[in-house]
Amino acid sequence: MQAPTAADLLNQQVVQQALEEAWHDSLPADPLGRHEEGGWVYVEPATAIVFVRRAPAGAQVALDLSAPPVVPGALVVATFHTHPNPSTEGWEAGPSTTDTASAWLFGVPCLIRADNGVYTTGPVSRRGGLTGEQGYPS
Amino acid sequence: MGNTVFILAGDQALAIAQADATKAYHDLSPYRIQLVLEEDGWHVDYELKDPRLKGGGPHYIIEAQTGAITSKRYEQ
Repeated sequence: MQAPTAADLLNQQVVQQALEEAWHDSLPADPLGRHEEGGWVYVEPATAIVFVRRAPAGAQVALDLSAPPVVPGALVVATFHTHPNPSTEGWEAGPSTTDTASAWLFGVPCLIRADNGVYTTGPVSRRGGLTGEQGYPS
Repeated sequence: MGNTVFILAGDQALAIAQADATKAYHDLSPYRIQLVLEEDGWHVDYELKDPRLKGGGPHYIIEAQTGAITSKRYEQ
């Protein structure tokens, strides 16, 4: 079964809402408190329901999404996270080289909310489709 | 007798990068640093040691004769 693409997921209201909530929680307007937030996007193949789980808060420029919670009957189809440091102060809004490398390593698209929009990197959709391991695809 | 061309030492280039990177990133302990002298100057690249993390580091090109930062990217 074909997994949803990054573009498919960005059209889902639950994903849009998760990106906005993560952005708000990143405290982008607070120079001392801003930090990365994010989590994982899942699909339940039996029902096609899309939902998200949040990860613990990250640091100013890093977030650990390496261990998605196992949700019975559901598969991880993307990660999402924020880039809260402002592009007006010279920060790159788009994906870092590590964002891209880890997305290919995990085998799922990486969705990023920054101050000037939403970016994607990594595979177009979950490697191998909606089959395999409950966490990241092997 | 030819002119002597002054080339900034690698540790001096690193010190210039480190001073700027510390101001922007505060904690540089998660990064591995690559320092390479290329035709356009010293390239100083900070990459996360853990490739499974989301995030990024600063990247610099430092003019090898003057020590000026000619290119700077703050990845996140």
